[in-house]
Amino acid sequence: MSIESNALAQALGTFMEEATEFLGQMEEILLRAEDEACSEDDLNALFRCAHTIKGSGGLFGLDEVVRFTHVVENVLDQLRKGHLSFDSELISLLLECQDHISGLISVFANGGEPETTRSDELIVRLQVWLGGEAVPAASASASAAAGKSEPGAAEHWHLSLRFDRKILQDGMDPLAFINYLSQYGELAHVETIVDALPEFDDADPELCYLGFEVALRSSASKEEIEGVFDFIEEGSNIVILPPQSKIAEFVTLIESQQAEVARIGEILVACGSITAKELEHALEQQKRQAEPERIGDILIEQGAVLPPVVAAAAEKQKRVEDKRGAESKMVKVPAERLDAMIDRVGELVIASVGTHSRISGLQRPDILESADVLISLVEDIRDMALRLRMVAIGEVFSRFPRVVRDVSKELGKDIELRIHGADAELDKSMVEKIADPLMHLVRNSMDHGIEPAEVRRARGKPARGTLELNAYHESGAISIEVKDDGGGLNRERILKKAIESGLASADDNLSDEDVYRLILAPGFSTAEKVTNLSGRGVGMDVVRANIEALRGTLDIESVPLQGTTMRLCLPLTLAIIDGFHVGVGDSHFVIPLDMVVECIELPADVGDRDYFDQRNEALPFIRLREIFGERGNGHPRPRVVVVRFGARRAGLVVDRIYGKCQTVIKPLGPLFSEVPAVSGSTIIGSGEVGMILDVPSLVRHCAAAAGKRPARKAALSASEAVESIAS
Amino acid sequence: MGKTILIVDDSSSMRQVVKITLKQAGYEVLEACDGKDALEKLSGQRVHLVISDVNMPNMDGITFVRELKKNPAYRFVPVIMLTTEGSDEKKKAGQDAGAKAWVVKPFQPQQLLGAVTKLLM
Repeated sequence: MSIESNALAQALGTFMEEATEFLGQMEEILLRAEDEACSEDDLNALFRCAHTIKGSGGLFGLDEVVRFTHVVENVLDQLRKGHLSFDSELISLLLECQDHISGLISVFANGGEPETTRSDELIVRLQVWLGGEAVPAASASASAAAGKSEPGAAEHWHLSLRFDRKILQDGMDPLAFINYLSQYGELAHVETIVDALPEFDDADPELCYLGFEVALRSSASKEEIEGVFDFIEEGSNIVILPPQSKIAEFVTLIESQQAEVARIGEILVACGSITAKELEHALEQQKRQAEPERIGDILIEQGAVLPPVVAAAAEKQKRVEDKRGAESKMVKVPAERLDAMIDRVGELVIASVGTHSRISGLQRPDILESADVLISLVEDIRDMALRLRMVAIGEVFSRFPRVVRDVSKELGKDIELRIHGADAELDKSMVEKIADPLMHLVRNSMDHGIEPAEVRRARGKPARGTLELNAYHESGAISIEVKDDGGGLNRERILKKAIESGLASADDNLSDEDVYRLILAPGFSTAEKVTNLSGRGVGMDVVRANIEALRGTLDIESVPLQGTTMRLCLPLTLAIIDGFHVGVGDSHFVIPLDMVVECIELPADVGDRDYFDQRNEALPFIRLREIFGERGNGHPRPRVVVVRFGARRAGLVVDRIYGKCQTVIKPLGPLFSEVPAVSGSTIIGSGEVGMILDVPSLVRHCAAAAGKRPARKAALSASEAVESIAS
Repeated sequence: MGKTILIVDDSSSMRQVVKITLKQAGYEVLEACDGKDALEKLSGQRVHLVISDVNMPNMDGITFVRELKKNPAYRFVPVIMLTTEGSDEKKKAGQDAGAKAWVVKPFQPQQLLGAVTKLLM
């Protein structure tokens, strides 16, 4: 006895440690879920925590812990399966539950008897979340509690039990099974069917002649009820019919099933209207039939399922098959194969440009003509190849309804999300990279853009704020707008803040657009209150940097009291660009064509200055020769390529201009990833390596240099360039 | 007076856990370390249920159940076999011998208790 209780005490100690650990983990995940979407791993971990506590708790007879944790586990299971989603209310409730479990366990540890009122109260609240879902009761008391809230007497399961006559000889007692059913709910009615009883003289006392019709009021699933009869052999006939309300539930479940199941039997099992065992039996019967009936009909005959549920499944099957038909026209290809192909197509484009330039030197119109045909075909192939990797931006947009819902709850704002143009396409690699910046813009608009409801009402706007995500194609690029109907940007406040932090000076005569752009500057934040969303150390400057890294731009439009629109403009692909080929010394450079404004000659009178007047505006410029330390032959009259990036313009002084070219961007190796002012490399038509210039960083450098007039000579060292990009 | 259950298993720790679980649920427990030992321990004593492992020295579970069912006194005693996952053959053999219920190892004490309750409630 003492050894036994010692061992038990020891094991109980281990259980306590385990439970504390699990409860801590639950708390941590729940708290994290308040801030960010819960990962699948987290949801599984949450479920596992509750599951294990329940499992081990049962071993030590902590019935109250088991009863209570079981319901918590059900809710976590629904979360895990995606039938429920977290919001702040549910998180608070689960945190209360976690505290309660912890309390229950310590009561047990101290040898006390826990009181059940608190559990019952929490269970009632948990069941609100479970809604119509089946809540299998862990014990009679739990089902009694559940039973109270259940509707009318017609709402019960009907069980028709015809046991194998020899069941008694196996040591099985039909009464034990019927009694056991009461663990899942209330036995509303049990009728004994005596039709099979023979005359007294013919009766064998070792055989079971009785059948039973049972009405069970329970919220258990069909699977669980069937589980009661696990040990009963083939010879028995057990039919389990769901309550009326369940039928509607099954139909709804079938309609909402996501899985691409095209077999009626599987659809029915998935919604819980039949069990796997019932399906197996029906399939066996079907196999035996010379002219096989449809499986749905067999199941109806066997009493496993009712016709309306089968009809719903058949309808679903038809829809899935239709969809399959459409899908079979698609081919799935591994992404790396596509990438490799696009890479080669890029080489093909380069090679064809090289061929063309060589051929144009020959006086052979016939060859030139056939080369032209070839080149135009190559261009077609390039366009098609790029289209292969295009995906709809809806892939990114689809995560926002949830984000908006959660964040608006968190902020206590009522915000509606509208999505337009989800079918606009862009390169797969872009889709992956814009998700984060977009997320930040959306959160920002919700947090700082849209006003609290009371402010909105005072301004005569609907209390419900609107956030729009729009995507559309525009001249070879994609524009994505994040548009809110909030208060708009506050010019005065931004300016004040910018002056305080030295980003602008009071006498700068800045346009609205310039002022708005200030919020994209590093170190800028006007939020007076650091909310849960902001104050994460990620500012709009990071968003801007991310977008620029994708060769995109971010524009801000804002109308006071009417709202703000952040417009992201991105190239459709990162793989191939139209470039502008220039030469400095012996080196070749490529400037993205969409950033080139014009080409002019460098005025002879610039002297040491790093700017010159162009149409009465100062145009800062940099000499690429100096930046890249070129020593090769210069040009007596250097050219200036005027580039534009956002609202800024700058001149890049080069020796030679070769003109437009199409080029495939090859990323720089890791060794060169720190090199400023260069974003990639390419092979130009003549077969030489050209560097692709990182215009944004060059332009920013120019602007910074222009701001520090008088002229700063000296070559820009790499470290300075990094500094100026970062400043 | 609670119902009596005989647990037959060569692992004493397994017997220990099962015993604690069953005692807590209010059952009386008899222990035996293999089939032979079980038949000796029974010798006319009344039991309501037998839980038996399959793989045991001296006399394995299936032979034990077959022997048990030969005795008119124990013919109607339900038997739960403790089988290992995937050993459907053994399960079938156990069922043929007369053990109609089974619990797959490893199991939670609660699972075993569920099976016991199903048969004895």
